[in-house]
Amino acid sequence: MRWRHVWDVARKEVLSTWRDHRALMSNILLPLVLLPVIMLGMPLLLGGLFERETTTVTQIGLAAGSAMPAELRAALEAQNVELVEVEDPQAAVRDDDYPAALAVPDDFAERIAAGGTSAVQVYSKVGNLRSELNAGKLQGAITAYQQEVVARRLSAEGLDRSILEPVTITTVDASSEAERSSGQMSWLIPFFIAIWTLTGGQMTAIDATAGEKERGTLESLLVAPVRRSEVVVGKFFATLTFGLSASFAAIAGYLLGGWVMRSIFLPRMGEEGNSLVTMMGGSLSVDARSILLLLMSAVLLSAVVAAVLLGISLFARSFKEAQSYIAPLSFLFVIPAVALQFKDLIGIGDTAYMVPVLNALLLMDDIVKGSAELSSILVTWATLAVVIVLLLVFAYRNFTREDVIFRS
Amino acid sequence: MIQVRGLTKTFEGGKGGKKVVAVDHLDFHVMPGEVYGLLGPNGAGKTTTLRMLATLLKPDAGTASVAGLDVVTKAEQVRARIGVVNGGMGLYDRLTGREILHYFGRMYDMDEASIDARIERLDGLLQLGDTLDRKAGGFSTGMKQKIVVARAVIHDPPVIFFDEATSGLDVVARRNVLDFVRAYPSEGRAVVYSTHVMGEVEELVQRCSIIYQGRKIAEGTVAELTAQTEARNLEEAFFRLVSRTDTGDVSREVPA
Repeated sequence: MRWRHVWDVARKEVLSTWRDHRALMSNILLPLVLLPVIMLGMPLLLGGLFERETTTVTQIGLAAGSAMPAELRAALEAQNVELVEVEDPQAAVRDDDYPAALAVPDDFAERIAAGGTSAVQVYSKVGNLRSELNAGKLQGAITAYQQEVVARRLSAEGLDRSILEPVTITTVDASSEAERSSGQMSWLIPFFIAIWTLTGGQMTAIDATAGEKERGTLESLLVAPVRRSEVVVGKFFATLTFGLSASFAAIAGYLLGGWVMRSIFLPRMGEEGNSLVTMMGGSLSVDARSILLLLMSAVLLSAVVAAVLLGISLFARSFKEAQSYIAPLSFLFVIPAVALQFKDLIGIGDTAYMVPVLNALLLMDDIVKGSAELSSILVTWATLAVVIVLLLVFAYRNFTREDVIFRS
Repeated sequence: MIQVRGLTKTFEGGKGGKKVVAVDHLDFHVMPGEVYGLLGPNGAGKTTTLRMLATLLKPDAGTASVAGLDVVTKAEQVRARIGVVNGGMGLYDRLTGREILHYFGRMYDMDEASIDARIERLDGLLQLGDTLDRKAGGFSTGMKQKIVVARAVIHDPPVIFFDEATSGLDVVARRNVLDFVRAYPSEGRAVVYSTHVMGEVEELVQRCSIIYQGRKIAEGTVAELTAQTEARNLEEAFFRLVSRTDTGDVSREVPA
C-alpha cells in the first residue's frame, strides 16, 4: 500500500464532492441546523405555548348561572380563567368559540351545601393541545375546590384530612443527571448521527464508484499503475470524510443548540415550560468524556457505512441505479434507531452490542444518557472494527472483479 | 514492442448460460515506431483485446507482453508504460483540465515540476489552451477529447492504445486526434489503433489485423489486404474477407 496514492485518490474525491454545492448543503448546513431545530426548537415552541396558556387569562365557557358557588368561581379564576356565560357549552367548544367549557347543574350549590354530591361537566376537544390544556386548568380548579369541601366536612365531624390518606407515596427519580436531562427524545441523537452518516457519505461513494463507471473515468484510473487496494482505501477515506463531516455537524449543532437553550431560553421560561423542555431533551448536556466517546462511535459507524456504500454502489452501472441500491439501506438505520425509544420495554440484552450498526446506535444512546458501560463500549468498538475490515475486503474484491468493473 | 500469442477471452452470459468467446486465439505483434490497426465491426473483440493488453482483463488462454513485460505477471509495470484513449472515456466534471492531468501524473509517480513541464509540452502539441483552467463539466466534446488524450500520455508512455478514439468527435477534433496518432510513433514508440472506420486505418496504420467474431481473419498492410482480395479499397477488402469467413470459403488468415 503506497499511502501517497491513497492520499491522491482521497484528495481528488474530496475536492470533487466539495465543489458540488449540494454537498455543502447536505453535509454541513442541514445536519447543523436540523437536529437543533427538532430537538430544541420543538420543545421550545411547545414549552412557550404551555407557558403562555398557563400564565395568560383564557376565556372559558360556563353554563351555570347563579348555581356557581363563590369558592369554585374563585378557584377557577385563580387558574387564570375568565368565565363567560354560554347557552350550550358543548357547541361553544365544538365551534371553537372557547377552548374549553364547564357546565354546573342548577342545584349544585344547594346539594354541596347540604353535604351531598353533584356532578359537573368539563368540555374539551380530545387531541387538541390547547383545549386539553385549558380543560386541565378547569379540572385542577375543581379538584382544589373539592379538597376544600372535603376538608370542611371532615372538620365539621372533628376529623383530620389525613384520615383519607393513611399511606403517602413519594416517587424518587433514581436516574442520573444525564438521564434526567436527556428526556424522552434523546434517541433522536443517535438516529440523526446515523442518518447523516449515511446521507453525507452517499454522494461521494456513488460518485467515486458507479459515477466513475458511468462517466468512463474508472477505466482510465485503473489503467494507471495505482493498485486497486489504494483506490479502494482512498475512496473509502473520502466517503468517510463526508459521512463524518455530516455526523460531526449534527453533533456540533446539537451541542450548540443545547448551549443556546440552557443559557438563553431556559432561564426565561417558567416551571411548566422548563419541565416540558427537559422532558423532551431540550436541556440535555454531556461532558467532554461523553463527547469524545460519541465522536469515536460516530467515526466507527461512519467507517462501516462508508465501506458498505463503496462495496454496494460499485455494482451499479449508473448513479441512479446506485441510489436505488442504497435507498433500502436507510431502513437498516431508521428501524433500530426508532426502536431505541422503546429499548426499555423491548429488553435489549448485552448481545445486542455485538450486532453491527444496532450496537453503535445503542452505545450512542447510552453515552447521551450517561449510562454507557466500559464492556459495552469495548464490545461495540471491537465488533465495528472487525466489520469495517471485512467490508473493506468485500469492497476490494468487487474492485478486482471483471464482471463488476465492466458490468454494463 | 507488443507480442500477442493465442490470446483468448470468454465471458459468461451467452444464451442458455453458455460462455461467449469474445477473443479467440488471437496472434499479432507490433514493432517499435509502428501504428498498428485493429479493424473490425462493433462486438468483434477489439475492445476486449485492448483491455487484456491494458491489464484490465485477464486472458483465459494465451500470452501477451507489452514493452517486454507480461500483461498478467507484470501488470503494474505494464500499466506504467501504456496510455489508453477511449472514445467513451469521460472526465471529472468538477476538476479543471490541469487538475485532472496533475491527478493522473501523480498516479505515475511524477513530481509536480515534471507534470507542469509535460503539460506545457502537451499544450503545444494538442492546443489545450482554455481546457487547462476550466472545469471539465463545461467542455465541448472536442475539448474533452484533448484532455483525454493528454491524460493518456501525461507520463510519455512508449505504448498507446486508441480504442474508437474519434467516436462522436466533430471534424476538427477528429483531425487533431488523427494528427496526434500519426506523429506519436515517430519518437520510437508504438500505437495500437482500434477502429471500425476504414478511412482512419488507410490514413494511419502501417499494418493491421482484421478482427471478426473474436478471430483474426486477415493481417497485413492496406496494400497487401486489397491485393489479396482483389479489392479496390480497404472497405471492399474488409467485406470480401468477412463474407468469405461467413461462408467458410477462406483460410482464416492472410499471411503478412
